[in-house]
Amino acid sequence: MEYLRYGECGIRIVFGDTIDPAINSRVINYYRHLKSKEITGIIDIVPSFNACLIIFDNTQIEFLRLLNTLRENEAEAVSPIESKPQIHEIPVRYGGEYGPDMGFVSSYTGLSEKEIVHIHASTVYTVYTIGFIPGFPYLGVLDKRLFVPRLTTPRTSVPAGSVGLAQLQTGIYTFESPGGWQIIGRTDMRLFDYNNPPYSLLQTGDRVRFIPV
Amino acid sequence: MIEIINPGLQSIVVDNGRYGFADIGVPASSALDGFAYKAVNLLTGHLNSPPVIESIGPMFSLVFHSNMTFAITGAWVDGTIDDRPLTSWQSIKAKKGSILKIKRVLKGFRYYLGFSGIMDLEKIMGSYTTNMECHFGGYGGRPLKKGDTIRFTFIKEISEKSMDSDTIPNMDPPHILRVVDGPEEGFFREDCIGVFFRESYKVSPKSNRTGITLAGPPIEFKEGVEKSIISEGVLPGTIQIPGDGMPVILLHERTVGGYARLGVIARVDQDLLAHLKPGDDVVFKRLSLGEAEQLWMQRQKKIKNLLKFD
Repeated sequence: MEYLRYGECGIRIVFGDTIDPAINSRVINYYRHLKSKEITGIIDIVPSFNACLIIFDNTQIEFLRLLNTLRENEAEAVSPIESKPQIHEIPVRYGGEYGPDMGFVSSYTGLSEKEIVHIHASTVYTVYTIGFIPGFPYLGVLDKRLFVPRLTTPRTSVPAGSVGLAQLQTGIYTFESPGGWQIIGRTDMRLFDYNNPPYSLLQTGDRVRFIPV
Repeated sequence: MIEIINPGLQSIVVDNGRYGFADIGVPASSALDGFAYKAVNLLTGHLNSPPVIESIGPMFSLVFHSNMTFAITGAWVDGTIDDRPLTSWQSIKAKKGSILKIKRVLKGFRYYLGFSGIMDLEKIMGSYTTNMECHFGGYGGRPLKKGDTIRFTFIKEISEKSMDSDTIPNMDPPHILRVVDGPEEGFFREDCIGVFFRESYKVSPKSNRTGITLAGPPIEFKEGVEKSIISEGVLPGTIQIPGDGMPVILLHERTVGGYARLGVIARVDQDLLAHLKPGDDVVFKRLSLGEAEQLWMQRQKKIKNLLKFD
């Protein structure tokens, strides 16, 4: 792992340079340890596929002091946490009005709609990171047979609950928002509730399985 | 209580931001001009982080249904209180029935309206600020409309005062933004980086509260370099370069991004981002991290002294 400065208020801790379940699980371990430490001056921690961004306030803690604190915690923070990941089952209506890009995905991959649904719903995905909009999970790894590019022109509005594909990832739009992923279905499940902690049903490191309904 | 007569182009409730939830994709959505936010609170007797109104454009108007003191900071405005001209960066007493009107914005883009009471709004995830994309926080998760009313608690009696003029930043274009290198600075052609720091860019009309898009000489990637990165956490003020080579400066509405990051606007210049409006010229100057830190600390010192004037 590498500690890299990013602007005045960021430290990137980079664990690798590929999308890889083993690298991501080290990121998640590290993030959980660090979050539990509640170090003064750290404002936010953003775990992602292969890195953890620490956002700090340099008027509360100097960069070098924070870096030392992080190094002192390193051995503990990279040791694996023994815990069973949480698995969430998410019901999805595939195709039709809920999956406007099903036709494109079918012609691009050469698979029938039935095959696409079967392949998409038979993997247990890992939440690699959450972001872009609150609660939006980047799920991987998608079966290679379902690899599709993003839309050339993103939609200005994608309905909340839409399930999409982009390259080797799948994800769920938690709010109505603009978006460029290929939409194959929709869930009625509410994944983000800003009134009730922990707000996001899915947390980085959780597992997700889609159930066709 | 206040009642909105005209919200102008757009008026939203903001505070100093929603922090601690970037790991579940929740951005800060804070007041874009942090100093103007601090100043308006100082002028209206607050030392904590109450909600204020962030507004753009002309025609804003409201009526006071209670006696209280208010102030406007950020962009300099041409406005009146009960038909008497008012001055920005100064607290002013309003009476029950007083009407505040903003005719136009003179300098800068976003202005901040603060009051000597606390708006009776609900904190969502620890903050009063509005997440406009996802419709939560602030005033029912949306911009203010004609007829909206906001009640206040703890209205304080405070004296009128004004801000020391040499603490008020210049908001006139061309805007000079100082930049430190970003994580992927090495992805871009050196001649393009040279041009980036030499030529000027124009703020595109595509800009919004999520990001400022610039138009000017495109920044090209070195031969054989990936044009995107594995999505990763991003800081406010980050200059991203999408495939078309036109720089986009991220504000406070995104937690992760997948575009290569050329640089980060120095913290000392980040408040100025609130005042970049479509058509303005922008010039970038390169700074080392050490220089950027030093400028920020100097600015902090100046602001700290300001807090003592009461």
